[in-house]
Amino acid sequence: MLLDVIGLSFVIALLRGGRIKEFPKFHKLSLLFISIALQALSALYPPAGGIFVSISYVFILAFLLFNRQSEDIRIFMMGWFLNSLAIWTNNGRMPIDLEQAKKLPYDLTPVINGTNFKHSILTESTNLPFLTDVIYMPSIIPRVISIGDIFIMLGAFLLVQRLMNKPISLLQLREGKNYATKS
Amino acid sequence: MQRKVEFGSTMKKIVVTWIFPLAALVIFYDSLSDWEPREHWGVLFAYTLLTIFSTFAPIRTLNTILTLNNAVIFSGILLFGAWVGVWSAVVETLILAFLIRANPIKALANIGQLVLTIWFVDLFKNSIGNVPASTMITDLLLAVSYWFINIILCGLGISYFFKTNWFTTVQKMAKGTTLTYLLLMVMVGIGSRLFETYGLYTLVPMMAAFITMSFVFHQYYDSMNKLQQKVEEVKTFNHKFLTAMAASIDARDRYTSGHSQRVAHWGREIAKDIGLSATKVEEIYVGGLLHDIGKIGIEDEILNKKGKLTPEEYDKIKQHTVIGYEIILQAGMFNELLPAIRSHHERIDGRGYPDGLAGDEIPLMARILAISDAFDAMVADRPYRKGLPVEEALQEIRRGSGTQFDPILAEHFIRIVQRLPYEELQSIIGIESIPQKQLQEAIR
Repeated sequence: MLLDVIGLSFVIALLRGGRIKEFPKFHKLSLLFISIALQALSALYPPAGGIFVSISYVFILAFLLFNRQSEDIRIFMMGWFLNSLAIWTNNGRMPIDLEQAKKLPYDLTPVINGTNFKHSILTESTNLPFLTDVIYMPSIIPRVISIGDIFIMLGAFLLVQRLMNKPISLLQLREGKNYATKS
Repeated sequence: MQRKVEFGSTMKKIVVTWIFPLAALVIFYDSLSDWEPREHWGVLFAYTLLTIFSTFAPIRTLNTILTLNNAVIFSGILLFGAWVGVWSAVVETLILAFLIRANPIKALANIGQLVLTIWFVDLFKNSIGNVPASTMITDLLLAVSYWFINIILCGLGISYFFKTNWFTTVQKMAKGTTLTYLLLMVMVGIGSRLFETYGLYTLVPMMAAFITMSFVFHQYYDSMNKLQQKVEEVKTFNHKFLTAMAASIDARDRYTSGHSQRVAHWGREIAKDIGLSATKVEEIYVGGLLHDIGKIGIEDEILNKKGKLTPEEYDKIKQHTVIGYEIILQAGMFNELLPAIRSHHERIDGRGYPDGLAGDEIPLMARILAISDAFDAMVADRPYRKGLPVEEALQEIRRGSGTQFDPILAEHFIRIVQRLPYEELQSIIGIESIPQKQLQEAIR
């Protein structure tokens, strides 16, 4: 999903002299599996798909909440929360702006027909449209992103930096200290 | 008077903890409809990126760290309207709420004052929209009004949470580092108009200006910080030195270990109680430390004599005030302490020594130290006798009030001692050498 962002983050971390030392530990991984299972269920049983997806977002938020001791997860959580608001208020699907989506090299018929379990078409009646997928991002992989996705990408970038043993602390940046945390 | 103060603080509480958050809610709800049109999404996206950047790219000043958020918000108001400013404020608040576990009441008050500022500035902007003046002039007015409204509302929050006076808080903020905000705001105003005319390329010189500015500030405040550290070091050294000196004065006289320190302590307490300025309080403390410096010039046999002194010997002891005065005078330092050293044995009724001054002729510092000195002499243990109980010593001071001591100061002093809890009082009376805590207090 975020392969390009993650790949780029790894390249940056490598250039910064980072190496993988140990994989960070996550708590309550089971919550993540539950949410994946729920997403699968929504694909299998489309009539209640929206409800399953909405609940699966709650589980992911809970998972992030249990792992919130690192800054990257907290940024990730904020992005996820903004996306969740869009999903919860729009029947469990992320509305996507057709005008922007047409620039993408994908077949949009399932979205237009309403058979895509993840996306729906953004219309006049969409709630919180500014939090939905409305911004066309041309590179590296072209996609249409939401404002919440900015934070998810930032969180992913920070997570990779931490993974490569070159963590960046936003809070220390804010305090005007050296950007890299001493680990 | 008391009721007025209470009324003021209740009003502050209502405004800061209720009106600020409520205003935030109303203004947020009002902006929501402005975020919905399609043509606004690109702006919101751009301002999200700008807000993230400005939240984590601070400018260091002497004691505080400024972020560029206010500048970003201001450019949003100028170029588009309040809805962009509110969006930026909300995004910033969300980021901080997720990243830092802040006190929710303070966070709500803070977002409230921020969006209220935005709302007021936007209102002002709309009301001067028809004035036939160049946008450059109206922008400048808006920048000043943003800064002014912001420090007034921010100052209200600060004065509520830290229980300070609203007016003086705002005054302090206006003179302090918030002026840097004003500078940024004015720059952003110009930048925004350039952006309108020349588009994205404006960002290049603007960024260059900001980065250079941040660099210059960094250098400037860094050297200021170093200087401040040096001053602190010198101050610390000075105090250590003076305390060591006081200890060596006391060491000459084997009956009075720690005496100068305690006199200095009581002197400082009295000075604080009668509301003298911090520098005066500090002066009196040092005066207390050095008041017996003249004892250096008294022969050991007299100073440490067991039993009663002859009148001649007593006259010699009396000389320590004048000797101390001469020493300090020749040293050419601490000139402000001269009266304390010379006159701390004067009496209000004029029967003291060395000059026989009376009443207000005796300098205030000396009158304060006279009480401290007498009290400590009475309550401190000596090798040949136990010190008087505190109550009796206070009784003595009461009896001497108006003859030996300044009656008003004596009254203050008695109140100070009676206020102290028993253990604390005993620990002060028992000070022998140089406890670290006292030293640190002295440095401040």
